[in-house]
Amino acid sequence: MRGLQLPLNQTQRIRLQRALEKLHSLSSKANSDASVTVADTIPVNYDDAFLKGHGTTDLNGELVATVCGVVERVNKLVYVRALRARYKPEVGDIVVGRVVEVAQKRWRLEINFSQDAVLMLSSMNMPDGIQRRRTALDELNMRSIFEENDVVCAEVRNFHHDGSVQLQARSQKYGKLEKGQLLIIDPYLVKKSKQHFHYLEQFGIDLILGRNGFIWVGEHVEARDGMIVDQANNSEQSTVEKDQAYTPLEMRQNICRIANAVRVLSTLGFNVDADLIIETAELSSSLNIDIHDMLGSEFHVLVAEREAERRSLMTKRKR
Amino acid sequence: MVGLSVGEKHFIQGGIAQDLRSDGRKRLTYRPIYVETGVIPQAHGSARIRLGATDVIASVKAELGKPSALQPDKGKIAIYVDCSPTAAPMFEGRGGEELSTELSVALQRCLLGGKSGSGSGIDPSSLVIVEGKVCWDLYIDGLVISSDGNLLDALGAAIKAALSNTGIPKVNVASETSGDEQPEVNISDEEFLQFDTSGIPVIVTLTKVGRHYIVDATSEEESQISSAISISINRKGHICGLTKRGGAGLDPSIILDMISVAKHVSEQLINKLDSEIAAAEANEEES
Repeated sequence: MRGLQLPLNQTQRIRLQRALEKLHSLSSKANSDASVTVADTIPVNYDDAFLKGHGTTDLNGELVATVCGVVERVNKLVYVRALRARYKPEVGDIVVGRVVEVAQKRWRLEINFSQDAVLMLSSMNMPDGIQRRRTALDELNMRSIFEENDVVCAEVRNFHHDGSVQLQARSQKYGKLEKGQLLIIDPYLVKKSKQHFHYLEQFGIDLILGRNGFIWVGEHVEARDGMIVDQANNSEQSTVEKDQAYTPLEMRQNICRIANAVRVLSTLGFNVDADLIIETAELSSSLNIDIHDMLGSEFHVLVAEREAERRSLMTKRKR
Repeated sequence: MVGLSVGEKHFIQGGIAQDLRSDGRKRLTYRPIYVETGVIPQAHGSARIRLGATDVIASVKAELGKPSALQPDKGKIAIYVDCSPTAAPMFEGRGGEELSTELSVALQRCLLGGKSGSGSGIDPSSLVIVEGKVCWDLYIDGLVISSDGNLLDALGAAIKAALSNTGIPKVNVASETSGDEQPEVNISDEEFLQFDTSGIPVIVTLTKVGRHYIVDATSEEESQISSAISISINRKGHICGLTKRGGAGLDPSIILDMISVAKHVSEQLINKLDSEIAAAEANEEES
């Protein structure tokens, strides 16, 4: 784990050390020699033909790693996957991004990738829901859909020939995200799963785990209605309403609790998935830990110990 | 600074209005403060303070110098702050200069008092060795490594911690010399004088968002400020310095209210900071 910047006293340090060692021993049985640092030789059977992939180089007849990461083997390809790199998009990934530019017929979004992702106007549902050709008027009204600095949820559609990513937001569940907070964690902590949109009923909260490390926690919004007839009137009404209607306190507490659970898990370096987040949040409320104290050292140590126990139970059950 | 969407800004304002900020803090709660002292061995005193994701280092270096002709019985103290490009890409080259000057001036006002040195948190007369001829020049440098809001408070706390970690070498003056000759001084390597830092004030920044004040704003919350007041208060509860930032005008009654809130917050902050500094010094001695 990256040097935890928490003020731990002596007992907490020992407990955390023990929990982390337990986790390490449980996981390393699977891939003990998989992690490498720069200039480590990669264990390969040199008699078999193999292909040298990213992150490797041939040095004096030996295969040597050029980045710190995990060795992956796919058929004959051997490559090193760096852990704390930028997000590497794959087609079909759900990502959460922030609009940085409104350009001609497209929006540019920042998604923690080496280039800005592009969301074409044609990949976006029109507010009136009708499928039609985008006219020049639509282009001029792009700002009424997304503006700069808006948080948007979309899906990776394909890669451009120059390596940049194209997104699409055609379904009802994609689109602008409001009434909540955006958290930024390392992309490698969010693994691909069947569901990235989670509606936590017991809290009434939407949780979107973007694969690029952007996590959205916010009030639950019903799937948007396509038919908004009077755009201008609506936006006026909504701003007036907003001034009066802040998020209710209880929902806000739940949002903060979930957000802090995500922060704790990312500081400890655990994979972030919905079940673990809910468990961590429930652990904190069952122990009556104040929401702000969740970011203190004691709770971090508790979460690490719980996770170590849970994983050892799982491995015991497997056997 | 990353921009925020309208929805996110509204969420932050709602949180502040309901006394539950984005990370669960109340309006007047500080983030956990983490103090490390003695991080720069070549300096006479140094400290590193982490306030959430804000990370600053302060160092104190003392050199022998000549007191100014106007104040022959006082030493000289200079405070300077530098914003490192690791904190934000815009600080590269001369980009951070505006912020650095603003922070340096604010710190000087809060900690050093007036031009004559009166009312200063650090007593300059304790720095003089031979009146009119030799004195200590204290150079206090602050470095911002990572910026997540509330730099002034963090720097103030770091300077306080660095000064309590400072050991000025003891100086033996050679026998009496006459007139304009520079006296000979022997700087002892063994004995050190510690500063008395109980008189040093802490800085509390109150940020006004909408109709409420918050303490220790993160950079997201700072993007919403209408105005902010930084007040430096010492242990006795006296105000040592006052700076107002932000363009919005404030009614005088609001300023008085903010001052009393800051006074209340500063008591807890001073106690917390003193205990953390003592713990850090104890840690340093162990290692």
